[in-house]
Amino acid sequence: MQGGSSGIGYGLKYQARCISDVKADTDHTSFITGTLSLREENEVHLIRLSSGGTELICEGLFSHPNEIWDLSSCPFDQRIFSTVFSTGESYGAAIWQIPELYGQLNSPQLERIASLDAHVGKINCVLWWPSGRHDKLISIDDENLFLWSLDCSKKAAQVQSKESSGMLHYLSGGAWDPHDVNAVAATCESSVQFWDLRTMKKTSAIERAHIRNANYDMKKKHILVTAEDESGIHIWDLRKPKIPVKELPGHTHWTWAVTCNPEYDGLILSAGTDSTVNLWLAPISAGDEPNSEGIAESPTQQADPLLNSYSDYEDSVYGLAWSSREPWIFASLSYDGRVVVESIKPFLSRK
Amino acid sequence: MGTDDVPLDDKAKRMRDLLSSFYSPDPSSTPNAPSKHGTLDAINTTSFDPDQYMNLLVQKSNLEALLKRHVEMAAEIKNLDTDLQMLVYENYNKFISATDSIKRMKSNIVGMEANMGQLLDKIMSVQSRSDGVNTSLFEKREHIEKLHRTRNLLRKVQFIYDLPARLGKCIKSEAYADAVKFYTGAMPIFKAYGDSSFQDCKRASEDAVAIIVKNLQGKLFSDSESIQARAEAAVLLKQLDFPVDNLQAKLLEKLEQSLWDLQLKTDEIENVSMDSNDPSKQGKVSDLSPTTAHEASVREFAEAIRAYRIIFPDSGRQLITLAQDLVINHFETTEQYVKRRISSANLLGVLRTIWADVLLMDEVLHEAVLPDFSLEAAQGAVKKYVASTFTYLLQDISDVLLRVNVSPKEAAEEHPLQVALEASRKAVLQGSMDVLLDFCQFLDDDLGLLVKLRDFIIDWVQEGFQGFLSALDDRFLLLSGRKNSSSPDQGLTEGAHSEKVLAGLVLVLAQLSIFIEQTVIPRITEEIAASFSGGGARGIENGPAFVPGEICRIFRSAGEKLLHHYVNMRTQRVSALLRKRFSTPNWVKHKEPREVHMFVDLFLQELKAIGIEVKQILPQGLLRKHWRSDSNGSTTSSRSNPLRDDKMSRSNTQRARSQLLETHLAKLFKQKVEIFTKVEYTQESVVTTIVKLCLKSLQEFVRLQTFNRSGFQQIQLDIQFLRTPLKEIVEDEAVIDFLLDEVIVAASERCLDPTPLEPPILDRLIQAKLAKLKEQNPITP
Repeated sequence: MQGGSSGIGYGLKYQARCISDVKADTDHTSFITGTLSLREENEVHLIRLSSGGTELICEGLFSHPNEIWDLSSCPFDQRIFSTVFSTGESYGAAIWQIPELYGQLNSPQLERIASLDAHVGKINCVLWWPSGRHDKLISIDDENLFLWSLDCSKKAAQVQSKESSGMLHYLSGGAWDPHDVNAVAATCESSVQFWDLRTMKKTSAIERAHIRNANYDMKKKHILVTAEDESGIHIWDLRKPKIPVKELPGHTHWTWAVTCNPEYDGLILSAGTDSTVNLWLAPISAGDEPNSEGIAESPTQQADPLLNSYSDYEDSVYGLAWSSREPWIFASLSYDGRVVVESIKPFLSRK
Repeated sequence: MGTDDVPLDDKAKRMRDLLSSFYSPDPSSTPNAPSKHGTLDAINTTSFDPDQYMNLLVQKSNLEALLKRHVEMAAEIKNLDTDLQMLVYENYNKFISATDSIKRMKSNIVGMEANMGQLLDKIMSVQSRSDGVNTSLFEKREHIEKLHRTRNLLRKVQFIYDLPARLGKCIKSEAYADAVKFYTGAMPIFKAYGDSSFQDCKRASEDAVAIIVKNLQGKLFSDSESIQARAEAAVLLKQLDFPVDNLQAKLLEKLEQSLWDLQLKTDEIENVSMDSNDPSKQGKVSDLSPTTAHEASVREFAEAIRAYRIIFPDSGRQLITLAQDLVINHFETTEQYVKRRISSANLLGVLRTIWADVLLMDEVLHEAVLPDFSLEAAQGAVKKYVASTFTYLLQDISDVLLRVNVSPKEAAEEHPLQVALEASRKAVLQGSMDVLLDFCQFLDDDLGLLVKLRDFIIDWVQEGFQGFLSALDDRFLLLSGRKNSSSPDQGLTEGAHSEKVLAGLVLVLAQLSIFIEQTVIPRITEEIAASFSGGGARGIENGPAFVPGEICRIFRSAGEKLLHHYVNMRTQRVSALLRKRFSTPNWVKHKEPREVHMFVDLFLQELKAIGIEVKQILPQGLLRKHWRSDSNGSTTSSRSNPLRDDKMSRSNTQRARSQLLETHLAKLFKQKVEIFTKVEYTQESVVTTIVKLCLKSLQEFVRLQTFNRSGFQQIQLDIQFLRTPLKEIVEDEAVIDFLLDEVIVAASERCLDPTPLEPPILDRLIQAKLAKLKEQNPITP
């Protein structure tokens, strides 16, 4: 395995699961991450990649009342982000704002803009529309899908609509289609469900068990990448939901997270509980869509889709984020609280 | 004259020149042209200038020379005079004799005229006499000629009148040739006078001819007649202006009909060989009688064709088509036949029959190039046969494998998987060898047809194996259910069983792949090298058709894939179990642990099932001891100790904190434990891998929950209980210890109040569980 020595490391104090790219920050490449500690005081770290790209600088350190299970940065305001947190017994979700003068304050407090407290069950995630300014938010808990309308200036979030996923469908997460503001994919035990936010109805589904994570291709419409516990990564064309367009072997143990590069076609990152991050190149061209068999039959003709495997992690990797400002950079977060930022530039030339 | 270059002395030469100039009518043509001025030789030329000559002579010569010249010249002149005289004298003599001759001729010619007159008179008288004779005989001659003509006419009339009777006689004696000759002879007369004077006669003879025609037709169609006779009949019929084309068509039809009869017989042969299930009989004995019968009929057919050719010499093309039709039909039947399952002996029998037919036909009908034609057709048939043989082999093997799919449910056998593996191994190896042996028969046979196809067959067999093995690989993947998601078509056809593919089958397939790679392919390669080398009908640039290296690689990777797939399938089942275990209870409100949770039993059961499957299929690992003593040993202590040491500690937060720190520290110093190593084809490796993956999953599931103290203790208890039985079945205890500790660490991290159970309580609960187990199942330790 190639060593991960090229990566730039940053240590969090506690264990952590989630990291997010601060998309709205167009001047710096920054990430935001939060810790997951049941019994300690949790922190949110705003990390910036130094201009030389050699160092990770802590730009802000804020205390967060509970352990953070999900965190995502607002795509249009770099100071706003959402978290899903747990006290151990109950779950909550909130929208936070980083105070303006945080650099000067001694121990700045996060400002809670809104609490998404209509939830009862275990909240899984809060979704922002990834493609730009949109005053809606989605939050998903075990059984329900909420559409919130957020007003940052009034510091208020109201439930606009809510729909139950139906009996025996425990939702586990979701992804908002960057190409369609009204389409959301929600993962549940046995399938990926697609919702239309206008009607709050399920439109279709991919029947596939144990999908852990789903991610839309930012560039190409109708392409969804899913990560499954045991059976690797699948790339779907949503117009043909029966059969995956492509299959990637994934990880030795579970494939936890998967994310498509926002710029380069076919570049996919996956993180797994086998303590590795894999970089895949699996371009979907019109020609080879139905030809997924070809991979199995003629392995010599097809280049290995695995470009690189970053294995310099001590624990399972749960957090994964591309930088949208410098799309050849990604941040990964392993459970032991270590952020590693890597550049994939050496592999871009191979394309 | 001057061209005569014979060397003469000066004098003689000059003489001749002088004489020739004398006789020559044109003085300018003499060779001594006037160019030689100023020399003393110019004396002989026509343009001789005495003054100049003199001057020259006087100038050039001294007195003595002049005198000498003078003497010479005088002598010369004298000589010349003499010569001249001699010449004149000779010529005069000739002239005189000529004159004498003329005089004699004159005197001889005088009496001739009278003789000529006499001759004329005599000729005149002869002519007048002959005229007289002529006139006197003319009348008689006229008469004779008339009589002669009448006689001829009468004879003809007689002939016509006799014709019917004569024809009848001919019919009786079967001298049809004469009859036809007579009739055609009489034809012009019948044409001219048939309607008037010879009406009766004509009718009678036409009747007779009709009989003749009928007889001739009969003769033509009767097979008992000799070909010669039939050919003659055809010729005669043609002479009689009978529409022979019609006959030809009819006869051809008949031939075609016999062709179909022949075809039917080919079918019969096959039916016979198909019906007799006894393989020893199939090719040899039972085929014998119909073959001979068939041969006889073909011989007959060939004879018929030969006859036909003689009878209708211009019918070559039709016959060629006919013969080719026969061959085509033969091969069509053969191809139909090949579609069914036959041994190559059977096919050989059929081919042999066909070839014999073809050779027979070829003798008769060489233009049809039947051998080449049938060679092409046979090429197709044999190719199809090779292909279908491989398809059947593939089918056999997958049948054997599918039987595995069914039988374990019945559980009648003790080691269903082992049996299946043995059976499928045998099916693959034996099947391949049988196929090769089968094809060897083609090569060993000295049938002309096959000898020519030899190279092709070799290539086909090689290609066939290449294709067969790749197809087998595909089939394996399909059977293992790996492909049904990506290939909808196959998924549909095989969907019924691919839904619930048995993990055991996957394991069998994995081991079978390895077996194929390590045993079957070398054997096949050997066999091919032994009996199917050469070939070369393919271009060199294409390389050999059978590439064992590539196939080996395919199977090696297939084996790995399948083994992984097996591990995955098994792990998934355990994962489902664990998922249920962890998602169902509310861990935050867990009650105090009273006993080891039953998921542990289920987990161990799964592992036991895996163990049973694996033991049947995979060999035991050799490296067991060596593995255990490997570097990972240290991790056990470094990871598990902090927890145990801290058992007594009561200050929860403080303890937890230091614990986390310690785990971090431990991680820093320990060697990274290789949890995910390569799976090997041994019982231990597979089981260990599965256990490792399951424990890792367990850890991940734990990490997703939040526990109260009792929940944590429950986990601790369960894990503690798992420790012993797991160590018994895996090859690398250190890793298992590490992973189990990791689970407990994860649980403690996710626990609001991580107070572990007291060791005595832990022990007691475990003992209780063990006792319960013993009670339930006395055999289990």
